[in-house]
Amino acid sequence: MLAAGAVFVMWAVATLTFFAIRLIPGDPAEAILGGPGSQASQEALDQVRRDYGLDQPLLVQYLAMLARLVTGDLGTSYALRTPVADLLGGQLGGTMLLAVLALLVAWILALGLSLWSTGRARVAAAVGEGIELTAAALPHFWLAAVLIAIFSTGLDWFPPIATGTPAGLVLPVATLAIPLAGFLAQVMRESLLDALQQPFVVSARARGENTTGLRLRHTIRHASLPAISLSGWALGWLLSGAVVVETIFAMPGLGRTLLQAVTLRDVPVVTGVVLLVALVYVVMTVVTDVASRLADPRLRQEGAR
Amino acid sequence: MPTATVTTLRPWRRIALPAIALVSAVALAGCQAAEPDEASGDPVEGGTLVYASGDAEPTCLDPHVGGNYPQALLAGQFLESLVSRDTSGEIIPWLAESWEPSDDGLAWEFTLREGVTFTDGTHFDAEAVAVNVEHLKDPATQSSTGYLAMGKVDRVEAVDDLTARFVLTAPDSALLESLSQPWTAMQSPAGIARGMEENCEAPVGTGPFIVGEWVKQDHVTLVRNDDYSSPPADAGHDGPPYLDAIEWRFVPDAASRYAALQGGQVDVIDNPQPDTIAAAEGDDVLTWIDAPRPGAANRIELNSGQAPFDDERVREAFIRAVEVNDGIDALFFGTAERSYSALSSAEQLAYSDEALFEPDLDAANALLDEAGWTDRDADGIRMKDGVRLTLRFPVSTNQSIPAEQSLFEQVQATAKQAGFDVAIELLDLSSWYSALFAHEYEIVSAPYTKVGPDVLRILYHSDSITPAPSGYFANLAQLDDPAVDALLTEAASTSEEAARADLYRQAQERILGGYYLLPLYDQQNSFLLDARVEGARTMPTVSTPTFYDAWLAG
Amino acid sequence: MSELELRQTTVEASAEHLGPRRRRMPRAGTVLAVAFVAFLAVATVAPSLVWTQDPNRIAAADAFESPSLAHWFGTDESGRDVYSRVIAGTASSLLIGVSATLIGLALGLVLGVLASFGGRVLDFGVGRVIEVLFAFPGLLLALLVIVVAGPGPVTATIAVGLSTAPGYARIIRGQLVGIRSSHYVEAARVLGHSPGRILARHLLPNALVPLFVLATLGVGQAIVWAAALSYLGLGAQPPAAEWGAMLAAGRTYLPTAPWLTVFPGLMIVGTTIATTMLGRALTRRGREGR
Repeated sequence: MLAAGAVFVMWAVATLTFFAIRLIPGDPAEAILGGPGSQASQEALDQVRRDYGLDQPLLVQYLAMLARLVTGDLGTSYALRTPVADLLGGQLGGTMLLAVLALLVAWILALGLSLWSTGRARVAAAVGEGIELTAAALPHFWLAAVLIAIFSTGLDWFPPIATGTPAGLVLPVATLAIPLAGFLAQVMRESLLDALQQPFVVSARARGENTTGLRLRHTIRHASLPAISLSGWALGWLLSGAVVVETIFAMPGLGRTLLQAVTLRDVPVVTGVVLLVALVYVVMTVVTDVASRLADPRLRQEGAR
Repeated sequence: MPTATVTTLRPWRRIALPAIALVSAVALAGCQAAEPDEASGDPVEGGTLVYASGDAEPTCLDPHVGGNYPQALLAGQFLESLVSRDTSGEIIPWLAESWEPSDDGLAWEFTLREGVTFTDGTHFDAEAVAVNVEHLKDPATQSSTGYLAMGKVDRVEAVDDLTARFVLTAPDSALLESLSQPWTAMQSPAGIARGMEENCEAPVGTGPFIVGEWVKQDHVTLVRNDDYSSPPADAGHDGPPYLDAIEWRFVPDAASRYAALQGGQVDVIDNPQPDTIAAAEGDDVLTWIDAPRPGAANRIELNSGQAPFDDERVREAFIRAVEVNDGIDALFFGTAERSYSALSSAEQLAYSDEALFEPDLDAANALLDEAGWTDRDADGIRMKDGVRLTLRFPVSTNQSIPAEQSLFEQVQATAKQAGFDVAIELLDLSSWYSALFAHEYEIVSAPYTKVGPDVLRILYHSDSITPAPSGYFANLAQLDDPAVDALLTEAASTSEEAARADLYRQAQERILGGYYLLPLYDQQNSFLLDARVEGARTMPTVSTPTFYDAWLAG
Repeated sequence: MSELELRQTTVEASAEHLGPRRRRMPRAGTVLAVAFVAFLAVATVAPSLVWTQDPNRIAAADAFESPSLAHWFGTDESGRDVYSRVIAGTASSLLIGVSATLIGLALGLVLGVLASFGGRVLDFGVGRVIEVLFAFPGLLLALLVIVVAGPGPVTATIAVGLSTAPGYARIIRGQLVGIRSSHYVEAARVLGHSPGRILARHLLPNALVPLFVLATLGVGQAIVWAAALSYLGLGAQPPAAEWGAMLAAGRTYLPTAPWLTVFPGLMIVGTTIATTMLGRALTRRGREGR
């Protein structure tokens, strides 16, 4: 079931991308011939259309693409003339590192923030909530500029462009993690509130027990459930954010590749990136499903049924 | 007219800026220091210069393939041309020592420099020139800019080892200018023979640096060519470059580039935002190089091929209605000067006529009334026969910097006072070209870089209305005037300087007088340098930076 | 009682048992939120009542003036009054935020309900559709919609709405599946209530409560995503004073003229906080009223 579903998702993604890009104004043959606005000659255009099969009917092109994909061949980039698999292979690592680090940091921030503020005195709760809401409402491109202004230009702690050093990763990760943390904390807070208001916690409080232990023991697991199921979503969200963050911090990566490929109408690269992201997503879904079942007995039962 | 002005921004020197600009432009012709009194000792060997480029990352490093400005920026570091141009616009020797046209102008003989080798060890000779021109003209190369530049060249014959004869199909007064551009630069025949994929990764030339590695979306490493021996006639020294290497990074975001320069992470940035150039004035560790690109000035073209701008009165009304001077001052912080010419101020033959562009709202209103646009709708937009006076204005977000986009908003606002409805549409590059190809525009702004006034023929000859097979056409004003055609064609085949200059002057008078375009300013092309970078300059050809004479102080 | 059973009764019981603790939100905050939303409403319906000058009036000579009595929020790169533009942008920004969220929610609700209540086959089918949508990075989906349909606020809205739909769909499905197996739903089933009634009486109200919170956050998120599209040059078209577009345009001048981004940014944050607080307040009332 799971494998069939994954194959279906991959097929549908490839198909949708293939036809969507055909709807975009702009000629792929031009992408091959030096990008939009090229003054290529008719001979050159004809040559390229023949070489890349662009003179074939759309359906034939589509089937040819599927046939290629089945054998694991992602094709050759129109613009860069290199195999898409090589191109993406070089970019995947950086983007995944960025996304996973950002997800981890966001989780830690969110957990810390909601544990600290939830159910506390009014002022602390209000402050915590204000921080969360503000963080969640920050656009990446603006936050990045502010972080650069403070930590690069002002304090000179971290470089504004990431050149592969660990220090260079700090600002990009922070840019992605802070809004996500605000968002995750919102969701966790709701669950945490529910948890804290349950009779066992209330009675523990009534007995005068310190609630810190309780918070940690009972509530983390309770609150982590929506966070786990949100992680798949969050990863997609981070990859979208990567488009902006990789551009600002001048990092090589899938987001920037995607943006460039869409601009250049580089069909094989767009398809390749989307398929890769879909694959990551499918894997992530499996992981979060398993994690959710472990964290929630109800789902475990349902899964067994 | 200076093509490159180097100004070190120190508060105490700001008052004297115009004078220094002139002096330094002259001094630059044979001097490696930014300013004569600035020389801080002898050049130091070694070190890696980090350059952060905001231009798009090329998809191929061989500028023969396609042929755009980002390719020229990089290629200038490792490829060289047959000729160059000095700051006064004179063509000067480079890989060719001398040249001579035949009397009928149909053949040019170039005598090549002796003892030049490509960085793969092969010799540069007449045969190599022939192979390069053949490469440019071969459809399989997918050349666009270089292909057009070689339009009148039929073939190149190797008369002997060091004599290359260009055989033309028609006289071409722009041949030397065409050959001075990086898009027609000389590459190793052995390198070309490796095939496009390999040659795109690391083209082989005779230049001061060699392409090391290219990490996509990150950087290109350029390493010193220790055997370098062929600097252009206006270079500052002989022999290999001082720098060990250049790390050429791609940093698309302007704010990040500037922050990286401030933090010392990079040494040189291109495409700085106007406000950061102005801010750098307070920062006495940055140097500003202002090098407008040659060819056309940045301008708004009025599409005369369809209503409403097929009526000259409506075109004049638009130009009279629009007010841009205050906007240029405010948005460019004094870094851009208003132009009244179709050509860049880097072109000797640029002709300006300020009076044609004097804003006059009353005159604009009178012209529109006269042209029959007398009704007004609820928004104050003029109407004629039930049609609103709408001007579609596709704007490329890749080609227009934020300040320029803001300026267009001001054009929109001032034109509205006369009753024009300017509909700005921000588009990505492909969609923008699609809108142009479909003639879905009344006004548009498109840069065009080329060495020499022949750019006028590309932009305003009626032949350029006919689209290329890809749909591309350069005459966006759709100017179709037999008199202009005749003047431009004749100028392109006239080598005699005074006659050529006169023809171009007449052509420009006619083009400007017909209200086909609204000039704005030169194509902005600025570089900010850390003060420790000495001896960098821009090539007076297409204003790309060159680091052959550059060294790192301290 | 076991912990599990306790938790299952909480959703319904929490409001009654723990009403007072639920009111930890300061009342002043709610009042402020109401006031802010009222102000937004005025700015949306009759912006000319609250702006101080024509938001599109250009005065290049007055460019980049810092906030003053004449220009409360300063002036922008074309000398336009930032305060007036922020007011003028309220309607279009809220329209983008609210309609994108509604599009996302509506689609998500349809998909989520179909998936969790339409039997195994439909669950599988819809589940895949959600995953396909999900597998597209949101911004790519938005980019594709925009380059296909042309840039502009309407396409940006649809694009953002579409890209948020799978998120909502998944959460709704997850909620519904969780609640479906709870005791009180089983009890209702034993009592012979129809699936439609169970969906309407028990499932949706419980699933919608957390969703409501997400959606109120979503309004701000949608504005922020639309702003990202503007940053990439594909959002609102000039001279529209949309907050996201203002933020994107002003970012260039952040070091020299921070007021260009601070004020539209504050409006986005303020709107998010106010709508979320109101959303919470309404949620509480809904729980108490039941």
